[in-house]
Amino acid sequence: MDKAKPEGPLKIGVTLDWWSVIAALGAAALVRFNILPHIPW
Amino acid sequence: MSQTVVVPRASPAIPRLLGLLPGIALLAALGFLGKLTEQSIARYGKAHHLALPNIEYVLWAIVFGLIVSNTIGVPVVFRAGVATYEFWLKVGIVLLGVRFLLGDILKLGGISLAFVAIELAMSIALMTALGRWFRLSPKLTSLLAIGSSICGVSAIIAAKGAIEADDEDASYAIAAILALGAFSLFAFPAIGHALGLSDHAFGLWAGLAVDNTAEATAAGALYSDAAAKFAVLAKTARNATIGFVVLGYAIYWARKSNRQGVESKGAFLWQKFPKFVLGFLLISLLATLGAFTKPQIADLANLSRWAFLLTFAGVGLQTNIRELTKQGLRPLAVGAIGEFAIAGVTLALIFAASRLLK
Repeated sequence: MDKAKPEGPLKIGVTLDWWSVIAALGAAALVRFNILPHIPW
Repeated sequence: MSQTVVVPRASPAIPRLLGLLPGIALLAALGFLGKLTEQSIARYGKAHHLALPNIEYVLWAIVFGLIVSNTIGVPVVFRAGVATYEFWLKVGIVLLGVRFLLGDILKLGGISLAFVAIELAMSIALMTALGRWFRLSPKLTSLLAIGSSICGVSAIIAAKGAIEADDEDASYAIAAILALGAFSLFAFPAIGHALGLSDHAFGLWAGLAVDNTAEATAAGALYSDAAAKFAVLAKTARNATIGFVVLGYAIYWARKSNRQGVESKGAFLWQKFPKFVLGFLLISLLATLGAFTKPQIADLANLSRWAFLLTFAGVGLQTNIRELTKQGLRPLAVGAIGEFAIAGVTLALIFAASRLLK
């Protein structure tokens, strides 16, 4: 969950929750604009 | 005239990020090993015409993580990176939003929220009564109630500062919730299969009754891919209530100790609100609006699985059974009795609402 002062390894001004949203939306944008190739499972 | 020269310090962000790489590589290696093990067993069974049980990569990743953490331990160089498993969990949840249409989220989320409201009220009441009965300190009781009613460790950490609880109480509560989470991970799928629950019903049950988001997601994934989807949705609905519950406890403890309460309730709620829920809803909205093609939706769903793969390895690596058993037995007993009751009641609720779920 979000914390007022980010703790743990990712103390880069933005909280962990926001970083996860930024990373996921960034990945979605890369897929949307075909920058990221097909992701197999 | 003297002048102060400010020398800009180099940002420590890059070395810190580099320091995460060994642990992230370990998460990826163990997770991938889990995936390879599942595939190898399936291939062996097919080649030799054997009906081998299909043990999901989820279980292998957790078990491999458990083996490492409980035998050789996690070396210091890996620890910071291993701790990012919660980050990967949230990335996976946000990306999973692509598999839901917003209308479905509102419908299922509405049902989940109704269940969550009942679960919250019952968990808090039950844990408070058990805490008094077992003579736990009032703040430890509050932390256990918060941990079992909402989202485990994160909720306990969020509440610790708000109610000014001791470190010792917080570590007891966290140990109890983690131990029960580890147990639930294996017990829930077994019970679900024994009762023949549908993916939908099981996912909802795991999301409502398993405390930590990582364990709830893993329990759902151990059952089936579809169950994981519903477990995440129900757990996300539960997580969204964290601000309200922690605020309630903060006000209660402020009044009880005659200190100043929460100044701005709106700011407090926003601060505690899990922001990844917003990301989950946004991705779902984009998918509903047709922003992604079908192959792109499949790609994003696969990316979500890869993020969860790292999470599941992290769940195992973060669980040290010896450390958990070292903590007090009474908090564990309170947690265990409470969790059994909550699991039973939420299961009954899901059975009762099975018509709605079909």
